[in-house]
Amino acid sequence: MGEGLVFGPGALMVVGLYLVSMIGVGWIARKKRQSDSMADFYLAGRSLGLAVLFLTLYATQYSGNTLFGYTGKTYRIGFEWTASVVFMFSVIVGYMLFAPRLVLLARKEGFITPGDYIRYRFASPALTLLSTVLMIYALCNYTLAQLKAMGAAVEGITDGAVPGAYGIIALAVIMVIYETLGGMRSVAWTDVIQGVVLLLGFAILAFLIPIQLGGGLENVVAKLGAMDPPKVQAPSFEGATKWISYVFLLGCGAAIYPQAIQRLYSSRSVKVLKRSLAIMAFMPLTTTLVALICGLTAAVVLPDLSKAESDQVLARLCALVMSESVLGYWLVVVVFAAALAALMSTADSALLSMSSMLTKDIYLPYFRPNATEAELTKFGKISSWVIVVLLVLVAIGTEATLVRLLELKFEVLIQVVPCFFMGLYWKRLTAGTALLGMLCGLAVALGLTLAGNPLVWGFHAGVIGLFLNAAVCAVGTLLKPVPTD
Amino acid sequence: MDDSQKYLDLLSEPRKVGYVWWVYLLLYAVAIPWYWPEGYVGPLVLGFPLWVAVTLGTVFLLASWTAWVIHRYWQQAGEDD
Repeated sequence: MGEGLVFGPGALMVVGLYLVSMIGVGWIARKKRQSDSMADFYLAGRSLGLAVLFLTLYATQYSGNTLFGYTGKTYRIGFEWTASVVFMFSVIVGYMLFAPRLVLLARKEGFITPGDYIRYRFASPALTLLSTVLMIYALCNYTLAQLKAMGAAVEGITDGAVPGAYGIIALAVIMVIYETLGGMRSVAWTDVIQGVVLLLGFAILAFLIPIQLGGGLENVVAKLGAMDPPKVQAPSFEGATKWISYVFLLGCGAAIYPQAIQRLYSSRSVKVLKRSLAIMAFMPLTTTLVALICGLTAAVVLPDLSKAESDQVLARLCALVMSESVLGYWLVVVVFAAALAALMSTADSALLSMSSMLTKDIYLPYFRPNATEAELTKFGKISSWVIVVLLVLVAIGTEATLVRLLELKFEVLIQVVPCFFMGLYWKRLTAGTALLGMLCGLAVALGLTLAGNPLVWGFHAGVIGLFLNAAVCAVGTLLKPVPTD
Repeated sequence: MDDSQKYLDLLSEPRKVGYVWWVYLLLYAVAIPWYWPEGYVGPLVLGFPLWVAVTLGTVFLLASWTAWVIHRYWQQAGEDD
């Protein structure tokens, strides 16, 4: 995780107890299960109340990438990364474009996965399968980033005594144990603990880093302006277009994350969901903004780090705080617990979603059409273990920076957006048109990325693909004759 | 079942209220810093350069607007259930 962030036995014990408590929560969740049905396992029986739903939405949306990737990105580009506050807010606007109709349908038709909606709306096995594969791909990528960060974190606090690979394996095993014990109930309840720890961690960071290390935000900004003026200056026009692209990329992409959609399905009532989303709209100002301030402070306190080192700036800042006082040491322990919470809460949700999609959208229709609910739930649990083993093997054997991984998964995922944003409102949008649009969007997004043009006039390749995808859907719909009845 | 039947319980939804999206467009146009001269910093406001303070203030307005729109225009029959 970084040089000098080494925990003593007491702190390691606290972190260990925190992790073991997750398995305890999983066990209690298992005891509270109502049945062996998929709705109970994957959606907690559609019973999540306000506190649990809000905290699981929060802990799932704000990942390890917010803590490590965003502080690193701010370190590199400065205030231009205020874009992250805008695009993380935009996810809630994305929900408003489709959630009211989707939630209503999900309750009436008993949807478990996003694929259930696509199957219901378009009645097309090909479109459902392609959408499911794209969503699973995006989630694999996302989970992989969390696993790699977990390894780096464990290696850092033990001063290399525990290699990153063992850290990845240990945390992944804890995660999959509590996930398979109680499904969504486990994941949501552990998210409550993780969400509270995460909020606490960000609150500590907000005061500790800029004030203790930087001498106050004004001082940080004044120094940064003198050291590296572009980092405090307004972006160019092309830089601003990149903000617009991020709003589309994240606002649309993160809103249709399968684990996010399944949280919409899991709420006890629409009223609870509405309140949770209304609170979520303010969270970028308490979370993403804090990551931004930490990254700016790091640019002043720890200048001249390489790109790879900059993804570790938060850990390096924490190491500085730890070395200054006993109170600082224990506050950093809480921040570290928050980092683990951010990583695990995102990874466990993605893992559960992948398991549900593999079971409901692939295993059930293609391999066991007559399987019972209990058999499907059992298959889902086994598939969670298989996914974790495969992802851990990949995580141990590959290298990449966190933010680049994030962008690549959204390039692909947002090609599913028209199925939701347009499909719920345009009844003349056919499966064939949606499939053609998706394929065109994918071809452009991947083609531009592979050709070495991930950005065109400030717009991400995936967003350009999405525009084409949406245009194909719009033209195809307009060309379809209006039914006479 | 046609669409009018499927969504009968949805008494109101934000997507269908035109002015809601014009307000979003206006607020996003202020939040995204396309209109400042390149390289502009301005005076510090609460520690932030003016252009950043304007963006953050507008994000707060966007969040407040969203909370109100959800409350006012996302209405479903029996939503307490």
